[in-house]
Amino acid sequence: MTKHGLVIDQERCIGCQACAVSCKQENNVPMGQFWNRVLTEGGEKMDTPSGGYPEDGGSGSLDMQYQPTACQHCENAPCVKVCPVNATYTRDDGIVEIDYDKCIGCRYCMAACPYNARVFNWDEPEHMPEEGTGDVEARPQGVVEKCTFCSHRVDEGLDPACVVNCPADARIFGDLDDESSTVSKYIDKYETDQLLEDRGTDPNTYYISGEMSPGRPQTSDKMESELDDVSPWSDGDDDVPSKEADSAGGESSGSSHSVEGGEIPYATPAKSGGDD
Amino acid sequence: MAANTGSSRVAIPSFGGKGKLWIGLLVALMAAGIAAWGYQLTTGLIATGMRNVFSWGLYIMMFVLFVGLSAGGLIISSAPKFFHSHRYEGFARLGVLVSLACIIVAGLLILPDIGRPGRIYQFFTSPDFRSPMVWDFGIVLLYGLLNLWYLWLLTRRDLAARGSSLALGFEDTEAGRERDRTLMFWTAAVALPTAVALHSVTGWIFATQVGRGDWFSPLVAPVFIAKALVSGLGLLLIVSVLADRYTNFEVDREELTSLGKILGIFLAFHVVYLLAAERLPHSWADHFEFWAIMSNFLIGDSVYFWLWTVVGGAVPLAMLALPPLRKRVSVIFTASVLAVVGTMFEGIRLVFTGYEVANIDSAPGISLGGEYTGITTDIWATAGAYTPTLVEIAVTLGIIAFGAFIVTLGLKYVPIQRVDAEPSYATDGGKQDQ
Ligand code: SF4
Ligand code: SF4
Ligand code: SF4
Repeated sequence: MTKHGLVIDQERCIGCQACAVSCKQENNVPMGQFWNRVLTEGGEKMDTPSGGYPEDGGSGSLDMQYQPTACQHCENAPCVKVCPVNATYTRDDGIVEIDYDKCIGCRYCMAACPYNARVFNWDEPEHMPEEGTGDVEARPQGVVEKCTFCSHRVDEGLDPACVVNCPADARIFGDLDDESSTVSKYIDKYETDQLLEDRGTDPNTYYISGEMSPGRPQTSDKMESELDDVSPWSDGDDDVPSKEADSAGGESSGSSHSVEGGEIPYATPAKSGGDD
Repeated sequence: MAANTGSSRVAIPSFGGKGKLWIGLLVALMAAGIAAWGYQLTTGLIATGMRNVFSWGLYIMMFVLFVGLSAGGLIISSAPKFFHSHRYEGFARLGVLVSLACIIVAGLLILPDIGRPGRIYQFFTSPDFRSPMVWDFGIVLLYGLLNLWYLWLLTRRDLAARGSSLALGFEDTEAGRERDRTLMFWTAAVALPTAVALHSVTGWIFATQVGRGDWFSPLVAPVFIAKALVSGLGLLLIVSVLADRYTNFEVDREELTSLGKILGIFLAFHVVYLLAAERLPHSWADHFEFWAIMSNFLIGDSVYFWLWTVVGGAVPLAMLALPPLRKRVSVIFTASVLAVVGTMFEGIRLVFTGYEVANIDSAPGISLGGEYTGITTDIWATAGAYTPTLVEIAVTLGIIAFGAFIVTLGLKYVPIQRVDAEPSYATDGGKQDQ
């Protein structure tokens, strides 16, 4: 079985909002709505830290982190369980999706989602430019919509738009059921959290904080599983990263930061994979 | 009066000047409601005060209230029947009529809340039985039909005797009475658990949700039952006092006082006991000193809290408990009004506690999907805020007016009172005292 999941490395995230914007473009998200938001954990306002400056007797405790937040694709998704008409459902590959033809717009799912990941089309959705953007059909007034893990791209073997467009390689998409996938390895190796873990929703989105990971291992817009001929994890014999693999570093992950060799996937050359 | 046939009578033989004015008012409210709903259908729910953070508003708050209000009448008329008692017989028919009107109002209030009402049929074609909303949909429907059936069962012999077409061809025979008596017992036996289920399931819509603060509490369903008892009985008392005053319906003073006392007991159970049970553990866990625990326990923090515990709880409770006061009709009436208002604010508070605070409230927050009318032009919010718009208020009033219209028509066309105070299924055709 496949279970798609997302790992977001908060140590890598630079708060550039590229994922939020590419999500909006790719999915034709109406004006006034966001499926994906980059939140600032820290001060009161966006891009402001909490704490004080380390000068004039200040506490020197400035602290800030970015938390990109979209639908967490929960395993025990309350939104799926509350939907009276089966409009919100979990696909076999773990993606939580909405059938917009079924949705009656009761918004029970918005009450159910602890992450406020869902938005409702309160009026006739407006798009800029008017004919819309991206590859997804616009949703009508009166239905709820949210992040789909870009299922239209995933179905074609492409990583989600926000993943491909993250300039910091802070977003890694893959199959949580496959132990050799980068997402599984990172969850294993790094300190990861799920948001609001105490609610028991068991999200398939994990956040790395503490030690920085080497980030997304390849630069193609294909999914890792589509690249198995050049899988960074496979040295021919098995699926375990080889301990004595050569020196660390991928072109985008060139972190200064020490991670044992072998744990760092090398970047595969960009393959000509395309949107279409 | 004129419309006195045999053993029953209708409360409103014909509409006088005031009656016509009342009907006119209701029709005007209904028309305004329909117009407002039409407007909302064309512009979308953007015409309401709801937005992405605060995504349920007045319609759901009033749905909760009216589901609760629908409890009183049915329980007061079926509980005694179930125990083969003739107590409160005088309230039985009016009670079921009021219950029926309230559950219709509750059901209708859902329609304007739905983004695409044209798709409601999906409840039948594609239901997910995990959803408490599906359970609630079923039970509201069942409860409405049950009320309709019960009202007809209670009155069909009298309707037949009056030659009303509402008897649907039913005939009043000796054997029929015998059968009706059994039917009434069984209807009562079904009605009581259905009422309990209705209020519990409506409570579970909220109580199952892990993401909305205080909603996630096993106490919500029992509290909904208590609210239903308080507000439902309160409304029944209000309507009977009004009907006694403005129509030919006559209230038995002794029974009224007795029901007032029962309302006091319900209030005490709800406001004193359940509230304490709900608050004490939190106060205890959050505070350290004895007095800190006590003051947090006894003194609430929000306006809503005060509105419903003091104005809607303590005051009416005192009114119904003090011997010199509790026998006065005006006191019973006022206490009932306060109890209903208190329950209304409690429902409003419940929705607010769910949406006011976002679990993840880092800046910039959650996109609203439209600006909060008049409050901000920003599309971002880190907390929920809600004020109903005029459109929502007009639609809600229109639907409530429809409920009042149903009650009024019921008073006109259904023999709501048995004139002979005889128990309806003892030696029928007994003494005629009017
Ligand atoms: S994050 Fe919210 S919308 Fe997404 S699956 Fe979980 S509960 Fe549903
Ligand atoms: S708003 Fe739509 S998707 Fe959400 S619970 Fe209602 S029908 Fe389901
Ligand atoms: S996976 Fe797709 S839909 Fe979800 S946040 Fe990323 S770009 Fe948006």
